[in-house]
Amino acid sequence: MRLVVDLNRCQGFAQCAFLAPDVFVLHGGEALLFTSRFDEGLRDQVEQAAAACPVQAVLVDFSDEPAKGAEGHVG
Amino acid sequence: MALGTMSAQITDFSNRADPYPLYAALRKSPVTRQDDGSYLVSTYYEVRSLANDPRLSNDLRNRAPGAGGPAVAEEDTNLPPSFLFHDPPEHDRLRNTTMRPFGPPHSPRFLHDMRDDIARIITDLLDALDGKDEVDVVEDFAYPLPVTAICRILGVPREDEPRFHGWADIVASVLDPSQGKEKVQDARRELGAYLSDLIEAKRRHPGSGILGPLAQETGPNGSMSTAELASTSMLLLIAGHETTVNLISNATLTLLRHPDILKRFQTEPGLVVPLVEEVLRYEPPVQFIPFTVALSDIDIAGTTIPKGAQVWLLLASANRDPKRFEDPDRFDPDREDNQHLGFYTGIHYCFGAPLARMEAQLALPHLFRRIKNPRLMADPPPYRANPVLRGPRHLPVAIDGLAA
Ligand code: HEM
Ligand code: SF4
Repeated sequence: MRLVVDLNRCQGFAQCAFLAPDVFVLHGGEALLFTSRFDEGLRDQVEQAAAACPVQAVLVDFSDEPAKGAEGHVG
Repeated sequence: MALGTMSAQITDFSNRADPYPLYAALRKSPVTRQDDGSYLVSTYYEVRSLANDPRLSNDLRNRAPGAGGPAVAEEDTNLPPSFLFHDPPEHDRLRNTTMRPFGPPHSPRFLHDMRDDIARIITDLLDALDGKDEVDVVEDFAYPLPVTAICRILGVPREDEPRFHGWADIVASVLDPSQGKEKVQDARRELGAYLSDLIEAKRRHPGSGILGPLAQETGPNGSMSTAELASTSMLLLIAGHETTVNLISNATLTLLRHPDILKRFQTEPGLVVPLVEEVLRYEPPVQFIPFTVALSDIDIAGTTIPKGAQVWLLLASANRDPKRFEDPDRFDPDREDNQHLGFYTGIHYCFGAPLARMEAQLALPHLFRRIKNPRLMADPPPYRANPVLRGPRHLPVAIDGLAA
């Protein structure tokens, strides 16, 4: 399972980092770091974060396809 | 005080149970001028654009002298305005300081670590319903939950909690444009004095919750004064008391009005995540923001809002704008791309949104797993007087007892 944050939409509301602290980390109040691959144990957190994003910038793929990049970064 | 025609109808108690036809009528034009000189904004894109417009102020001191419209200020000489009623840079200083012990980047796990506590509060409240065949979802569940949660988060001693309820109820009525202000002043003064004492005590013994670390900020090198922290605490307390209750009650009411969705929810508790977002769109606990002020002339949707005018942003109307949401009067938890304005947007985006979401996402599956065969006993239920923080005063539901 994997996710990506749409860089053009994200406005740094940090709702994702509150609800899924194991997946999204706010760095220095500015940059959002996230783990783009996650497993079943984090599924609930990711669902909550994606639903809470006020601009719906968290895009999630719950299929089991292996993903390429492991880390994402939003400035 | 005389309100403009439409705003008077919106605040009129007889429209409380169903204000949505009024909003639909208002949306015929995005911006409507009232006789008293205030402006109502009713459509999604215009509300969102103004929410992000630095020419629109939350600071009531910017209102033109003699400007019309209801006085809903925290007009009070004892405490400074809270950050809700400040613009940048003061707003950002106070909000960022308050965020430090509460959320990312400094305290990313604080709320996450409260989950079990909140689940425990929920279980205790539901266990207490054992043996009943009728419950008031507001009094028995939706009100005590956020009250207890916000007290834990602040670090208010449990034995003091009952005293807050009365104060908070009264102080929150400042957001009701049709209410008088005298009682409010007294309650604010008493609550303010209590909080200042508590902050003083927390400076020496921080204890649990965010007030301890925030009290440390009020020292000589800190970033807020004791008075500022007192008004911040008051804001958090009231926001915690008077909003989440309506999210949980409105969600319960809406589910009981949609038996098919309720049935699905009972076998698919994960549905709560999108369901809560849809309740925030469809029956938002904060219906509108009646107090913003134009700092200069603002041209929008063919209207010029003049400098100094009071502007009402109708979040609940924007959330039902057919230009943004397909079939907006339909309650649909499967709705995609639900960018509702229930928590507002821009720099004043709800500070407590992650807490409110966590409470509702835990509360609703527990509630509907435990209560057997719930039936609404009054539809519509009796509503609270407040038109801004809108929700049922009572929500009587008949049940066939409680599941283990
Ligand atoms: C479902 C529950 C809630 C809803 C619908 C809600 C809604 C809102 C809305 C619409 C605003 C914008 C107000 C404005 O700018 O005029 C707001 C701001 C705010 N909310 Fe909430 N709220 C909720 C729960 C909470 C809770 C539990 C807290 C406390 C922890 C809280 C704290 C705040 C604060 C401090 C602000 C001011 C933010 C700022 O000015 O930067 N809210 N909320
Ligand atoms: S992804 Fe959404 S919730 Fe997360 S920081 Fe960006 S805008 Fe905020």
